[in-house]
Amino acid sequence: MTDLAVDVLIGAGLLALAWQTIIGKSLFRGIVLFVVFGLTMALAWARMGAPDLALAEAAIGAGVTGALMLVAFRRLVRIRPEQSAQPALRRSRLALPVAVLAGSLVAVIGLAVVAVERDPAVAGQAVAQALTDSGLGNPITGVLLLYRNLDTLLEVAVLLAAFLAARTVFGEDEARSPTPSRREVPLVGALLAIIVPLTILIATHLLLAGSREPGGAFQAGAVLAASGVLLVLAGRLQPAAGLSSWPALGLTLGLMLFSLIGLAVMAFGAPLLALPGLWAVYLIETAMMLSIAMTLVLLFAGASGLRRGSP
Amino acid sequence: MSTTEVLAAALLLAGGLFYLAGTVGLLRFPDVYSRLHALTKADNLGLLLVCSGLSLLAGSWRAAALLGTIWLLGLLAATVSAHLIARHARARHFNGGEQ
Amino acid sequence: MSSTALYVLVAAGLFGIGVYGLIIASHLLRKLFAINIMGNAIFVLMVAASAPLDGRPDAVPQALVLTGIVIAVSATAFALALMVQLYRVTGQASLEEDPTEDD
Repeated sequence: MTDLAVDVLIGAGLLALAWQTIIGKSLFRGIVLFVVFGLTMALAWARMGAPDLALAEAAIGAGVTGALMLVAFRRLVRIRPEQSAQPALRRSRLALPVAVLAGSLVAVIGLAVVAVERDPAVAGQAVAQALTDSGLGNPITGVLLLYRNLDTLLEVAVLLAAFLAARTVFGEDEARSPTPSRREVPLVGALLAIIVPLTILIATHLLLAGSREPGGAFQAGAVLAASGVLLVLAGRLQPAAGLSSWPALGLTLGLMLFSLIGLAVMAFGAPLLALPGLWAVYLIETAMMLSIAMTLVLLFAGASGLRRGSP
Repeated sequence: MSTTEVLAAALLLAGGLFYLAGTVGLLRFPDVYSRLHALTKADNLGLLLVCSGLSLLAGSWRAAALLGTIWLLGLLAATVSAHLIARHARARHFNGGEQ
Repeated sequence: MSSTALYVLVAAGLFGIGVYGLIIASHLLRKLFAINIMGNAIFVLMVAASAPLDGRPDAVPQALVLTGIVIAVSATAFALALMVQLYRVTGQASLEEDPTEDD
């Protein structure tokens, strides 16, 4: 009973936050509410028995998306300050019926799927049995790297492609996102000195624990990216124009290593991307974490390179 | 219910009350400084109470240590962000803008 | 009502809100909120509608959704870059001819 009450509260909260995000007056408030929506989604994932998704949603869905939206909003405001005052909504007689129809469609599909009698030999069942002897205790990481490895490889490629596309569209930003040469507040240095090492520790833990417990390369990469975003915000790292060698290496490391190992196993007669052992899983996950973190930080900074800023 | 559970429930309830007070303060207080005051003071105490209640319920030193770390990190983040917001508000005040 | 049915209904509601927002919002950032909310609705549907296997949640839809979350943030990042560039070139962040004109 209390379980259902908690679910009802979370569900109602999600709906209310989504509604306020859409129809609220101020855009800035919309971004804040969207971040709160993401955090509530993380709670919902935890309730649905998906702690991996809860971690990913809190770090990537709420954290990184929110940071990217805020920085884009700031660029809009910088171009013309009266951003929030724009007429936000327009009237449409079709909107409500179409929305109700779409929602009902999703409800019917979902309830129909729930009502279907399940085949005992579904993919998940087979995976759960096969994974017990692979040494990966976390089934999600197992599925991502052993069964859907091509998807995971392409996912890293999509992230890189999004970065390259954003750079191409955006060009080099003459008004850089962090205002440079601002005097740093003393407390911020102390905070960074504690938070950044701790974040690296947490990211490493998420990465290593990802083979047994909730966690993995994507969550770890997003957490690592958060410390990078902090450093950019504090001006310790500053956007640089050209793509220098180490950020470029960081961007492509995951993709390169994954493809190299995936191709190399073919020389030994194994199928494409069949990982030779747990060591390869750890190696690839580490490389992917670094690439994901680097891509996200550079997307946030709106630049193709980073240089050390004056503290 | 054992004594530990009663104590934990009392701590959780007290923590919830402090959160409620902090949120009411955030919504009702007139300016940035008093809002920050309500938010950081009441919510940090609320977090401490909730964390101690939960560590009583968890019943292991590892969980208690993790919850304690969460409280310390929350304290740290609240301190620095409150400082930055107040500083920003003050700078704008002196430059002739309102909060 | 079970929690599964509840989350399916929440997914339906979120999807409806997302579609509504996508239609009525004129600012592109707001349209992006709406698209992200629709995506989240589908993620919730996928995870909620997959039954647990011997008490444990099914790992396959969860892995699919994890991929989906990362793809969604990639697409959002690209869309935000497009929006800022559009604003820089045309001076408005909406796709309408004249944002003050109602239809």
